[in-house]
Formats: sequence, structure tokens, C-alpha cells
Amino acid sequence: MAEAILDALGPVLTRWTIGGSAISAAPTGWRDALGVDAGEAELRLLALSGHLVGTLALAEPPGAVRTRDDIPVLAQPPLPETLRPRARRLLHGLRETGPRRALLDFLDARGWTLHPGDWMPGKGDDVPDVYAAWQDWAAASGFPSSSPETLSAESWDDFGPAARHAAFTALRLRDPAGASELLAGKIAGETPDRRVRLLEVVATKLTNVDRPLLESLAGDRAPRVKALAASLMARLGHGETGGEGAAELADFFPVQTKGLFRRTRAIVPREVKSAAQRNRRTALLEALSLDAFAQALGLSPEDLVTAWPWGSDVTADRPFATMAARSAPDAIVAAAAEALTTSASADFPALVGLLPRLAPRQRRRAAIALLRGRQAGFATALTIAGGGGGIDDAIRMPAGTALLEALGAEHARPADQASELLSLGLLASRTAAKQALDQLAAAGLIASDPRLDMLRLNAALEHRRPTE
Amino acid sequence: MAIDLKVVEQLATDQASLKAAAGLARPGKWSGIGTSQDATLVWGECAGSGANPYRVMADLRDMGSKCTCPSRKFPCKHVLALLWLDAEAILPFPPAETPGWVTEWLGRRRSAGGASKPAASAGDKNLYAARTVEPDPVEDATATARREAAGAKRAQDTERAILGALEALEQWVGDQLRLGLAGFIDDVTARCRRIGARLVDGKAAALAGHVDELPARLLALPTDDRVHGAVVELARLVLLVRAFRADSRDRELRRAVSSIESREALLADPAVPRVTAAWEVLAERVSTRRDGLVSQTTWLLNLTEGPRFAMLLDFFPASAGRRGSVFTPGEQFVGELLFYPARAPLRALLVRRDPAPIDAAPLGWPEGGALEEALAAPLLIEPWAGERPVLLPPGRIGFDRAGAPWWQPRKGTLLLPLAGSAEGLIAGTDLMRAAALWSGRQLEMLSAHTPWGRIGGG
Repeated sequence: MAEAILDALGPVLTRWTIGGSAISAAPTGWRDALGVDAGEAELRLLALSGHLVGTLALAEPPGAVRTRDDIPVLAQPPLPETLRPRARRLLHGLRETGPRRALLDFLDARGWTLHPGDWMPGKGDDVPDVYAAWQDWAAASGFPSSSPETLSAESWDDFGPAARHAAFTALRLRDPAGASELLAGKIAGETPDRRVRLLEVVATKLTNVDRPLLESLAGDRAPRVKALAASLMARLGHGETGGEGAAELADFFPVQTKGLFRRTRAIVPREVKSAAQRNRRTALLEALSLDAFAQALGLSPEDLVTAWPWGSDVTADRPFATMAARSAPDAIVAAAAEALTTSASADFPALVGLLPRLAPRQRRRAAIALLRGRQAGFATALTIAGGGGGIDDAIRMPAGTALLEALGAEHARPADQASELLSLGLLASRTAAKQALDQLAAAGLIASDPRLDMLRLNAALEHRRPTE
Repeated sequence: MAIDLKVVEQLATDQASLKAAAGLARPGKWSGIGTSQDATLVWGECAGSGANPYRVMADLRDMGSKCTCPSRKFPCKHVLALLWLDAEAILPFPPAETPGWVTEWLGRRRSAGGASKPAASAGDKNLYAARTVEPDPVEDATATARREAAGAKRAQDTERAILGALEALEQWVGDQLRLGLAGFIDDVTARCRRIGARLVDGKAAALAGHVDELPARLLALPTDDRVHGAVVELARLVLLVRAFRADSRDRELRRAVSSIESREALLADPAVPRVTAAWEVLAERVSTRRDGLVSQTTWLLNLTEGPRFAMLLDFFPASAGRRGSVFTPGEQFVGELLFYPARAPLRALLVRRDPAPIDAAPLGWPEGGALEEALAAPLLIEPWAGERPVLLPPGRIGFDRAGAPWWQPRKGTLLLPLAGSAEGLIAGTDLMRAAALWSGRQLEMLSAHTPWGRIGGG
């Protein structure tokens, strides 16, 4: 019945939309109730119509309404209910991508995920692989919420893009040769962005088995893919070598032999006389592969890294580190990281340049070395280590002592050292977090201090899976 | 760390604060009192003059404090009263886990700013004088008669002014129809502002506030819906005006047109319905109105008997600062509410709140009735009312061709459009039960139970 009256009101509403009296258009059955006075009748008609429309008229959707799939359950469970408020508070304070990613990695390392009611990843966000299924769901690409078990040529298109990337990463670890072959067949059908991301996975467990794949990409139409393929070839020792560039670069870095008995070779850089020279030197470091550079110096890549005078000239260290990250095999990069962290004055930007090539374990070791050597505060160490965490005895390191001193100082303010405390919370192992909380309480911080949120989350959160 | 009563005296800015604090330092006014395990923080909730209780907290290390009341005095009477309770052990302060709202305040403090320094002159403040209740001065008969007559005349003048304003409003409504609703919608803000000012002049303050917010309500609708929306809004005004003229003494109508009864008046009235029940906090909403007032609304669900829903509503000037939340969405408590008299009672005051029972399993939500009836009934009983809360049966969010969200039931075909967008978890899970606000046109979700747990709340 309501529909019939609502239809009958159509002309009334049209009249009012344009302006003017709608009485003559009123439903017949209402005429008596409206009365004779024109102004009064108009208002009564309005009251009746409006009340009806506002109470009984229900809108209808244009076309069908479709529900979306369920948000998939992830491989790891969401945080226990009791820890969610603390996690929410932390998320609220972590606006920048770096610290936010560190929190996600921290939780991942312990075997947990965030609850979807508290946070979900955005489409293009760089997040741990465990969240891939949520990214695909959010992209609403219509892919089913549960991906097929294994990634293969046949099942390639059945995966959502983020889930496919995660599955390919897992396949690469299990069966590097199979992954390489699979990618060789499928890569041409992907967008440039996805080609780059998939090729980046091939950097893990890179061997000569991957040469055919890399050679096939030498002519890729996307410059980033070409460059990445070339740099991976260089890491295998098949990069371009020689030429005048290499010789010119070698000239900047003469090799001397030192010592009477153990004849160690050391590079003593030639003094740079002008900005133009320095720029040229940097440009060469950025263009060549480490292999080519080593050859031109007459050294093996290993010897080059050993001979390099880390810490003597940061304007050389940084591009040299990037050169290694771009074009050297894993072992060389690890050696460079080792040398950097043990040198008297570590240059963090140089070390940061190597990070993309270091495994989480290596990153943690570098961070520990820095912390032990008094060279870094917790915030810097976090940048190096990433969110994997798990550093024991953190509060006992020099950075910890400095932190406790700063907190106990006379003019300490309530917001001081918040960043150091957050970083400490992300770096520490569970035992170390508990230790730290005890020490901080002794230093005067009350248990309810929100700066302690990360340490308290750390101390309360169980390990669901064994640490590395 | 029990503090010395002298400290309370020193902290007060003046004798008036002390006197007010003395009145508040009584057990019946407080709930949720606690102290941190290391006895450095104290907190509690105090029934103020608003619908929502105030949250009060103090850091005993430096006497820093915070209260969610709008007072400009620092420390306010609620803080003084809390400290007084501690100093004289009027109520026990059980050690407990520091609540989230206290931790958040700690995080926001700057060192010196939050700490109260003892006021310079302690000379004219006296704690014990504050506690003596002075008898009201006795009036002689003539003075009483004069006072009452003046009051009656004032009431008559106000009545006349209101009726005049309402007549102007009806005239204005007629004008909008004559000029055309298309033009009205295009110029709605300016036109509503003008008639709003006339209503304020005519002492119809509450109605003025309602009209002031009309443009925002109308423009929040999809473009295609706005003619319908305008007709509904204008009709509501006419219905209210006529209802008021028919019975201007009706409290609900007076509340909608001129002003709300004071908390004291309501507490003193034995006829006002009081309901003791178990309540769940559905959601909280804080929003700023056009006139600069900040409204803080808490929606409660009755888990036992009585009116299904309650709404606690307070207004604060924007200058009173950032509103902290008063309840935690999802929390359940036993409490006594006092409902403003109405045909379908909804707006209420929190009179008393019991400390939460220990180890209580959460109570489930009651069954909702037939949905279509639940949607229409309140709007039929009170034709001038706006949005009302409703319980939804099991359902899910779906999307139409244009990507707009709709709520659809698991059983049945009734589709209800959602206001705004639906992203994240709510769009990807069953909503086993849900509570929402229904405006007559759109749903606004308040909270829901899902397989992932409870969501929503604000």
C-alpha cells in the first residue's frame, strides 16, 4: 500500500521541486483532510507526505547487490585480544612507513598478525608476505580467497597478484631451478612493475642456472627490468668488464703492499683535487660492476673488499657499498658488511646501502656489532636490523646505559627518548624486553608510561614459532 | 601513596573550588575508582552535570591532573574531589591495571604544563569552611511573592516569543515550497541560517540548533535523494510546530523546541523513569556543530529489561578542548539510567554505575523484533524525531552496481542503504548481530558481532 501512495506523491514532489502549490496534485483520498484554506492545506500536505516518505519509503538499489568474499584467514593468527589495545595505540603513533614495517616484521617473526579490525594493508603497501591474501582481497580483483596449493604454469593465473608473489618467493626458496624455469615462461605476460618484483625474488639463491632467464631479459622493453637483469648477471660474474672506465677508476685507487712478513695489500685512495674529480669517481663507481673494478685493480673481489679502506672517505665508501649491493655475489656483500661494521667508524649510509642484500640474520649481527661497539643508538640499530628483533641483553649495551642515564637526568621530560624506547622494544628478544622493563622501572619510569608500550607488548607476546 | 589533605587546600584556586569539591567528595558521585600498582596514579569517574560522567585522573608524583569536564579552572573541582577522597580515605582506591585513557593522557603530557603548582595565596582558602553546609537564607513572604510573580511573567513572555518564532518558521517553510525545493537545496545553508537566527531570537534555542544542522544532514545525502530529504526535513518542522502548539507543556516537545531540563530537575522528579539494567556501550561519537559546540554522544544497549537503547548526549564549547572518550566501546556494566520523559524514551542520564563484576562472562545481545516494524515504529510515534538506533538480525554488507554499500539480511529481502562507505573488515565478513542508527533513509553502523569478534565503536 505504501508503494501506491508513494507513486501518487510523485507529481506532488515534482510540483514542489519547481516551486508552487501542489494541492491540486494531492492524492484524492487526502483532499478532505487538507481542508479549504490554501496555505494551511499546503502545510498539511507537506506534513503528511514528508512523514510518509521519511518513515515508510525504503530506497532500492539500482541493480543487484553483491557481497564480497570473506576476508581470508591468514597463515598466522591475529594478536591475542588482551594485546590489541596496546597494538592499536602503537599503530596510532607509528605514522612513518619504516617503523610501521618494523612492527609488522616483529609480529611476523613471533608468529602473529594484526587483527583485521585494527589494520589492513593498502593495495601497494610493502608488507610481510603473510598479508598477501588481504592485499588481494582489498584490491577486489575477484580472485578467490583461498589460492591453489602450489604455483605452477597451469595455476599461475589462478593466484591474485600479491598471493602469487608470495607463492613464488616460497617456491624460489624450495626449488630455485624450478622457479627460474617457471618465471622464464611466464614473465613476459606480466606488467613491468610485477616483472621487476618477480625478478627481485630471483636474487635469492642466484646461481648460473638462472643465466638463461637473465639473458632473455637483456632486451626487455622496461629499463628497470633490463638494469636489474644486468646487475644480477654481474653478480654471477658475467657482467661487462674492462674498458677505459674500469682502468680510470682503478687509477683513483692504487693498491699498495704493506708489512714485511705478512704482505697485505691495502688500497690507498689518491687524493681528490676537485669536486669535478670526485663526481667523476662517484659516477664510475655507480656505473661499473665490482667484478670489473676488481679485475682492473688486479685483485679478486674478496681481496678488494678486504683491502678497501673503510671509514677513510665516506664519499668513496657509499658508492662502493652500492656497487657491491648492485653487482657482487652474496658472499662478497656479506664480507663488505662485516668489514664496515668492524671498522673504527662505521658509516651508516654505506651500511644502509648494503641492507637490501643482507639476510635478516646478517642484519641482526651487524646491528649487534654496532651496538656493542658504542657506535649506534637503538633507533639506528633498528634501521640496520629491521623488525626481526631478537637481540639479547639489549639494555646492557652502551646504548642501553646511555638511555638509562638520559632518562634519569634531572631535566628529563615525559616525551624524551620515546624513539629510543620504541626501537629498543622492537629490537629486544622477549627476555631482553623483560630485563629492560625492570631496569627502566629502577630508573624511575612508571609501568603505565606509554613510551613503554612496545617493550610491554614484546614482553607479553609469546613466540609462536622458533626464533632463527 | 595517600596524600595530605593540606595539598588539596593548596592546589585549589579559590574557596569556591574547595566548596564545590567538598560537595563532590562523596561516595555516591564516583565509580571506577582505582590507583596504579605502584600508587603513582589515581583515577575515577564522577557524575557531573552532563549526561556522560567525567573522567578524572591525577599523577601524584607532581600533582598533574586532567578531567574531561569543560571547566576552565585548573585543577577543577572534580580533581580536587578525587584527591580529597584519597586524602581522607572516603572511598577505597583498589590497585588495578591502568586504564587506556589514563595511559593516553600520560603520553600527551608535557612536563611543567600538566603539574599544578600550589596557588600563591593560601590565606583565603579554608578546607573546613568549605565543608560546612550553610543553610539557605530565609526569605520573607513578600519577597517570595515578588520573585514568583516575576518568574511567571518571564515564562509568559518566553511562551509568546516562542510561539511567534514558530509562526515565522511555518511561514518560512511555506515560502520554500512556493519558491521551489531545487532552489532551496542549492541555497540551503544561507536560508537555514536566517530562520535559525529568528528562532534564537524567539527563545526556541533547541529548534534553532536542529535547523542549523539541517544543511549538513541534507547535503550528506546522495544528490538524487535530496528532494525527498528536503520534504522529510521540512515536514518534520511542521509536525513539531503543530505538536507544540497543541500541548506546549509537554516536556518532550519543550525539549525539542526550547531547552532541556536540568539534571537536578530530573533527579528531583519522582515521576521520571529510572531503569537499572546491564548495559553495553555500543559506540561513541564526537562531532562539532556549526555553532561551535562539540556534541559527545554515547549509545548504550540494554542487555536485560527496559527500553532497548539509551543515548547519553552532552554539549561542550569547542574551547573546552579535545574531548577524551568516556567509555570503552564494548564494555558492559550494570548501572542506573534516568530517561528524559518521552513517548519512546531514548535520551538519558547516567545516575549510578556499579563496579564491573569480576570474572563475568559477557552478556549476549537481546533478540531484535521484526525489522521493518523496528525501523518504522519510533518514527511513527515521534514524527519529528531524527535518527534512532535499531538492532539488525544476521546479515552482511553488499555493494550495488555503483559501488555503494547496502546492508542485506541473511533471511529476507529487505535491503537498507548505508551512509558513507564500508571498507575493511566490515565489508568482508558476516555480521552476526549489528546495531545501527536508522535515519529513515540510511543506516549508520554502530557496532557488530562478527566471526572476527566485535567491531565498531568510534
